[in-house]
Parts: sequence; C-alpha cells; structure tokens
Amino acid sequence: MLVVRPSTLDDVSGIESLIRDNEARISSLPRKRVKLSERVERSIRSFNRDPDLAGSDFFLFVLEDTSTGELLGCSGIARNSDRKRPFYNYRLDELIHASESFDVHTPVPILHLTHELTGSSVLCSFAIKAGLSGGIESELMSRARLMFIRQFPELFSEQLVVELQGVYGDEGQSAFWDGLGRNFFDMDFASAEYHVATKSRTLLAELMPPHPIYVSMLSEHAQSVIGKTDERAQASYQLLMKEGFKASSYIDIFDGGPVLCVQREQLRTFVHAQQKTLRCGDVNTGVRHMVANASIESFRCGVAQLTDGMGHVLRIDASVAQTLNLKDGDEVSYTLL
Amino acid sequence: MKVIRPIEASDLDSLVGFAQNSGVGVTTLPDNPELLEQRIYSSVRSFRSSQPKERGNYVFALEDTELGKIVGVSAIEACIGLETVWYNYRISKVVHASKEIGVHTTNEMLSLTNDLTGVSELCTLFLDEPHRTGNNGRMLSKCRMLFLAQNQALFGPKVIAEMRGYSDENGVSPFWESLGRKFFQMDFSHADYQIGLGNKSLVAELMPKYPIYLFFLSPEARAAIGKTHDNTRPALEMLKKEGFHFNGYVDIFDGGPVIESFVEDVRGVRESRLVSAKKSGAVTMTDDERSNLIISNLSLEHFRAIQISPKQVSQQEQSVSLSSEQLDALRVAEGDQLRLIPMRYQ
Repeated sequence: MLVVRPSTLDDVSGIESLIRDNEARISSLPRKRVKLSERVERSIRSFNRDPDLAGSDFFLFVLEDTSTGELLGCSGIARNSDRKRPFYNYRLDELIHASESFDVHTPVPILHLTHELTGSSVLCSFAIKAGLSGGIESELMSRARLMFIRQFPELFSEQLVVELQGVYGDEGQSAFWDGLGRNFFDMDFASAEYHVATKSRTLLAELMPPHPIYVSMLSEHAQSVIGKTDERAQASYQLLMKEGFKASSYIDIFDGGPVLCVQREQLRTFVHAQQKTLRCGDVNTGVRHMVANASIESFRCGVAQLTDGMGHVLRIDASVAQTLNLKDGDEVSYTLL
Repeated sequence: MKVIRPIEASDLDSLVGFAQNSGVGVTTLPDNPELLEQRIYSSVRSFRSSQPKERGNYVFALEDTELGKIVGVSAIEACIGLETVWYNYRISKVVHASKEIGVHTTNEMLSLTNDLTGVSELCTLFLDEPHRTGNNGRMLSKCRMLFLAQNQALFGPKVIAEMRGYSDENGVSPFWESLGRKFFQMDFSHADYQIGLGNKSLVAELMPKYPIYLFFLSPEARAAIGKTHDNTRPALEMLKKEGFHFNGYVDIFDGGPVIESFVEDVRGVRESRLVSAKKSGAVTMTDDERSNLIISNLSLEHFRAIQISPKQVSQQEQSVSLSSEQLDALRVAEGDQLRLIPMRYQ
C-alpha cells in the first residue's frame, strides 16, 4: 500500500538517494547526510509541535510502499510563519517610458526585489523515484501535503507558494544566474545552490543586488529563461497547475524559475476533500481515493479503494485503516485521486 | 586682429551656421535658431547684470576684425540645471560580502543623479573649421579663465566641463548602443538630434532611473565610460592643465567624462595677475606664437580679451606695452588695469 507519513531518521539514506536520483534539482534539501539528518530532525520536531521552532517549522513527508518498505518519494512544507527571515523574490513588472513630446512609449520590463511572499508557507523538497514521475505516486506525494494543510489550516498561511526549478544546463549552469547573481558571488550556480541548501536562502539572498534590474540589460539567454520551468520539472508544474496553482509575477532570484501561488481555498484538494466518520470493514472494491487521518505527529495519507455513499459514515478496509493509524469512529478525510 | 567679446544679437546668423556644422555630440549648441537667439539674449542680459546671478549665461565670441565676423564661441553658465533638469550618471562601487560563505565581490554601477545641479559649467566651445589654427581655440577657452578670475562672485565654488564622449569613426557610440538604445528605440544621432534641439532633459526622462551595473554593458561600452571623443582630447588636455580632473560623473548618453575644479583652484584663476596698460608704438607679433599671452580688461559688460607677445610684458613694472590698436580693442586707456595669463603653462 502507498502511504505518506512524516519522515524519520531511518529514512535519511532513502531520502538521500531520492534527492540524488531525482530528475529536477532540489535546492531546499542538502545532499550531505549530516545536514540532511538535521533537516529531518527539524521535521520531527515540527510534527511534534516543538514550540521552540516558533513558526520556522519544516514538515518533511515521505512516501513508502508498505509492501516492500521502499521509499518512493518525499515532499515538504516550510511553514514560514515567523517572518523572521525575509523571503526574497523578484517581481516582474513593466514600466512605460513615455514622452508625449516625442510620441514615444517604450515598455520597459523590470525586476523588483520583493519580500511580499514573506510569511507564505512554501511547498518544497519534492522528489519522486525515477520512472514514477507523472504517476499516481507522484500525485499522492504532492497532494498529501495539501491534505495535511487542509487538516491543520491554523499552522499555515492562506496563500501557498511553490518555487519551480528554473531552466538549467546539463552541467547545472543557469543562464539567469550567470547573467546576474554570479557577478555578486563569484561562484557558479551549483556552489550557490549548495550554500542555499546547507546554510540559508536568506543569507544568500541578502547578497543579491537591492536595486531593480532592467530585463533588457540582461543577456538574451538570461532573458529567455525568466519565469520558465526546466523541462525536468514539467511534471510537477503540470500537477500543481491542475491542482489550482497559478503562475505569478514572482520569480526565483537565483535561477529565474517561476513561483506559483494560490489561495489555498481554491485548491482542488481543498474544494473536494470531505470528512466522515470511519467504519472499518472488509472493503475490496470501489474507486481509488486519497485518505488521511486527523493526527499531526502520526499523520498518514494513503491510497485506498472505497465507495462513497450517502450519510456520515465511510467504510474502509480494516487493514488499510490500520496502516493509516485509523480506528473505528475516527474522523477521516478523503478525496478522489 | 582677433578679439574676444560678449556675443551680440547681430551674431545670430554666424551662430546658426556653427550649430549646423557642429555635428553629433556638441549638445550645448542646439541646431535650433529660436533657442540660439534666446541664448544670445540671455547672454546679453547676463553681461549687463540685468538678470539674476543664477541665470548667468555668458557667451564669448571670437571676432576676426579683418573679416568683420565671429569665427568661434565659448561660454560659461553660472548655475546648471535650474531651468531644465541636469542628469549625470555617477560611477560608484558596491561591495557584496559575506564571511560566512566566503564572498567578497566588488562591482561598479551607474546611478542617475542630479548632483551637479547648481554648479558652474564651461561649455559650448566651438571654432569654425577654417579657423582651427594657431591660438584661436586657446583664446576661446582661456578667456573664460580670465573672466572667472575677475568675476568669481558670479559663479559657484565649483566649475565643471562635460567632455564629448567616445564614438567610433562611424559616429557610433558604444555606450549608447549598450545602454540608452535599449530604452529609446532610436539611434544615437537621432537621439542626439533631439538633444541638439534643446530637448536633453526630455530625452533623459526616457532613460533608466535605477542603477545600472557595469557588468550589464558590453566591453566596448565599459571601455567608453569616461573616455572622450578623439576631437575633444585637446580640449581635455588643456583643461587638465588648468587643474580640472575627472570627478566620477559621466554623460548619460555617451558616457563622456565630467571634469571639475573649484573655481579658486583653476590655474588660470590662481595665476592670473593684474598689470597696468602702457601705450607703445606699433607692435609686431604673430598670432600663432606658442609663448603668447592672453590679456583682458576688468569690465563685465564690455569684456574684451586679445593675445599679446611676451615681449610686451614688463616683469619689473607689472605693466604691458600695448599699441593704440590693442588699447582700443581692449577698450582701455593708458594706466588702466588688465588681467593676464599665458596661453600655455611652462
């Protein structure tokens, strides 16, 4: 059975290989095991509602095939409610340089450094085992997070944000980085990503130029990748757009990749998921659904077959319920996959 | 004889002719008769002290008395940027550093400023092509030092000069191509034409307001920052010898340098000396002698300057011997005070 659950320290090596093998690059998780373990520890503290985290919680989920024990994916949510660290983006704007006396008006696209998305919870750290991209596992891995947010809305912001991998070359180079950021860091994109993953994104962002950037001054190559998703992240992009995320005028300050935003109430998962009281039984037929329990620290969200009828009761197979840490009479959330 | 005098209304036709010939990059001589006429009247009023000091705009003309017409002009503006808006880019450095990730980078950027608003400016030096010989250009430039020395109270503490920026043999300004053009979809000569019509600050308003990092510019454009046009190099050298130096500001269109000095530090101001006029017989002198000096009267309204030979100067008596023709040209009589500087410094 496919089950999404909070990550544990036992998952570290599994997550490590997922990040390594993932098609798209993951800048929000460090590759080094020690650093990765620290990140998983933070996640464990977050699921245990450690008050010391004070809003800088990071929830890391993993997808396990319970029949084999294999990890098939991971995904995360950075809560970001502390607002202690500004979240940096560029906002793509257009100025009109106009002169009535010359009868000229030239649109001038410009990138403004902004902290507007500070405080928004960010979906991040998405990785899926090779070959499963675009499949049901991928969908579950991504949407289980949204189920979690829907169950515990008070933990997260109304607006949700995802940064998608910008366009990069086979050697990990980014034309946007080379045209802009690199001049201030004197290091290649891979090194910068390493610092983002191991230290802090804000630390690097603070070194970026504070002034607006005229798009026309960037190299043509850099201009051409603004707001573009790398083809290796297209599957995630499609999934998120289907879920209700919208392209925004924000882009990543390092690689120029797009930032998708949504008011969470508009998400497909938010609109369609329902809650009912669980009745365990012997259920082997029905339609494939995503089913989640109502616990934070022992959160489970898995795929189960069920038949949704009238009334306030939902029947699920007993073994499935057990895997999802559910028992008779519990509240259960579910939606179609 | 060649005499420097304030420009007059009757010089308009000559001035219009100069403007038509001055070409791309000489933006203070707009090819616009109406503006030129206004410029003359403003100058006439300035020499008569009949307009406020900060509107002071003194245009000097080099008259060839044999030809009976002017062959070149130069000017000083008392306060720039008061009627229109004066823009420059300032070149500044920015360091982005973090010990934690081992970063320390230095970049240069261009910031749009109005910093030079209110300073005095040497401008509009133009000499008609056939007369670009001997000391003619120098007279037009140097007479301003004498005027500054005599009338310091009319000017700011600081005086600048904008040097025409570099453009290649085809008239292409690499600085413009790499910057202005991206915001103003026309080529430099057309933009310059608009500027030449007196629309400089209107054009400037179409330029980028936020800082431009130098790494955004082409290598050719970067090399052109603070570099003068080949034709302007002699003027630059002359002003450098007067103590002017590049002040870190450049023209927003062609990247040409702004050079500046405190008025009191200008060598011609510091070293000019007062001498008294003595009448002598006819003087034999050649106009293109390198050791010649330039001498002016002390009048504002009837300012005159001519060149004289070093043989006419008496060091002991602090006096100069002038022919009656020269005394007339300077509008002085024997015994009057005059101001003197050499054409070239030793």
